[in-house]
Amino acid sequence: MTAEQFIIDDRENNLFRVNREAFTSEEVLQRERKEIFDKTWLYVGHESEIPGKNDFQTRDVGGRPVIFNRDRHGDVRVLLNTCLHRGSSVCRHSSGNAKIFTCFYHGWAYRNSGELVNVPGNEDYKSEPAAVYKGLQSPAQVDSYRGLYFVNFDPDAPDLLTFLGEARYFIDLAADQSPEGVAILEGTHKYSLKANWKLLVENSIDGYHAKSVHHTYFEMMMELGATPPMLGKETVNGVAPAGMGTEFPNGHATLMYPANGLPLATDSVKQTLANLRAQAEQTFGENYATAMFGLARNSVFFPSLILIDLSFGLTLRTFYPVSPSETLVTGWQIIPKGVDEEFVKYRINNALTFWGPAGLATPDDVEALEQAQKGFGARGEVGWSDVSKGMGKPVPAANDELQMRSWWREWNRRITGQQLPTEGTSFVPFDKQDVDA
Amino acid sequence: MTSVSETPTITTRNAVEEFLFHEAGLIDEWRLEEWLDLFTLDCTYEVPATDRPHADPGLTWSLIHDGRTMLEQRVIRLKKPEAHAEFPHSQTSRIVGNVRILAETDEMIAVTANFIINRAKSGKFDTYVGRYDYELIPGNSSFLIRRKRAVLAHDMLDPQGKISFII
Ligand code: FES
Ligand SMILES: [Fe+2]
Repeated sequence: MTAEQFIIDDRENNLFRVNREAFTSEEVLQRERKEIFDKTWLYVGHESEIPGKNDFQTRDVGGRPVIFNRDRHGDVRVLLNTCLHRGSSVCRHSSGNAKIFTCFYHGWAYRNSGELVNVPGNEDYKSEPAAVYKGLQSPAQVDSYRGLYFVNFDPDAPDLLTFLGEARYFIDLAADQSPEGVAILEGTHKYSLKANWKLLVENSIDGYHAKSVHHTYFEMMMELGATPPMLGKETVNGVAPAGMGTEFPNGHATLMYPANGLPLATDSVKQTLANLRAQAEQTFGENYATAMFGLARNSVFFPSLILIDLSFGLTLRTFYPVSPSETLVTGWQIIPKGVDEEFVKYRINNALTFWGPAGLATPDDVEALEQAQKGFGARGEVGWSDVSKGMGKPVPAANDELQMRSWWREWNRRITGQQLPTEGTSFVPFDKQDVDA
Repeated sequence: MTSVSETPTITTRNAVEEFLFHEAGLIDEWRLEEWLDLFTLDCTYEVPATDRPHADPGLTWSLIHDGRTMLEQRVIRLKKPEAHAEFPHSQTSRIVGNVRILAETDEMIAVTANFIINRAKSGKFDTYVGRYDYELIPGNSSFLIRRKRAVLAHDMLDPQGKISFII
């Protein structure tokens, strides 16, 4: 059974609630598949993961198995990994290099640009399968922004740039960190949560939980001589020490706060970062370079692409539901190209201590989300969650919950068709002429 | 990886096994400070990503790449009640087997072994399996660990979801 109303957006009392049924109902998940995963832009992968001709990665995106590859001409493709004959996967490796994908079931073979090129027993068909079926299908739309590839299964959906809108500046701030560009590091975090995927959306942009859930992490950082986030003193490009949350059209949102130094960095690491910053200043101006390196930010791109961009790590994460109470997560680390090995090592070690299923912080997030999911067992008695923190403030802080409300309003619009006004205006932490010019 | 040495001496293997079983017991009993004492000051503790089991965790996005300082911090943290994922502690029971000595010099012994770790927590039961690679430094009566690498034989962390204790 599905509730009729999923959110209560009470502007008079500045109360915002989410119906817990949204996290547990199979029917809601079916609607999410239809209204969100079939219609929005979903992240597939970064071009650096398929650097050479014929390189491929297989992924599951929005419930579909896909091959993200570069064909023999070097063009990037996204192919649906299902044989046109009777459905089997045509590629069963997680990554590799292949010119041809041969389905092992009956042996139909496809070129890596999709065309069906060999059918065993072809002479037995009155109509040749290659002529009838052409080749492996692709999602209705495939597009990229700054090396990040997305797909959309809806041919009528607005294009990627329109969908990302102003929030794309947060991708720019990450992609511009080296004049040579950025690349995804080898190695993937792939893990599952026994919790609803929307709990991980909330958690990924939740500044409020840091103090309680990651208490031990911050104690450790202080012991090692680093200042934990949001305990600094300086305002950076209009972002106060307590940080701020901001919303963008289409459910994208960011929380940002002044970056606070480089825990455990060596002189050479600090120098490399200073060089990157100096180069950025020269290319984009001081204001933009300060936003890039002087601020930290956690962004969500609707529905489930997360970019966590700190000067000591750049983590990308996406996730898709398996069931109302199970989510599969994939996480990557981005590195500016052209930096030395010591800098790479430093970034990895710093980021790893926090993120990932074996870090010193993320397991506690997983625990919190699984406990919340368990708590939803009592939704008959306690039916609503509260997401009101900072509502009504002119400038919500990073540990307020504007980001989540913005995301939930978009979720609600897609699921129920009800359009609710935003709370304020989008904020971009730099002078936009710097890059628009 | 080095090939299996021609003639591992039985006495050394006994001593190595004894040491690894002792280590396994310390972890299962949550005697983590004593476990930490088994490591050298220049040690690393590594778990590669499940999709890159052969990669160097120092240069790839691995699951764990701790030097001595971070390993100490991991232990300090795990003993605090605010390490939420591990409070109350998981119960683990690990079997270390197939212990082989791959290379042996005066300064260092390269050892590989298989592990199965069964873990019970909040009504759930998980199994972690894989291979350990060790670099052991012979001491007076036993060994010190200079490098411990746990390579998971999983293609992803599912259904385990996370590694919140020492593997
Ligand atoms: S299903 Fe692929 S060849 Fe038959
Ligand atoms: Fe967290």
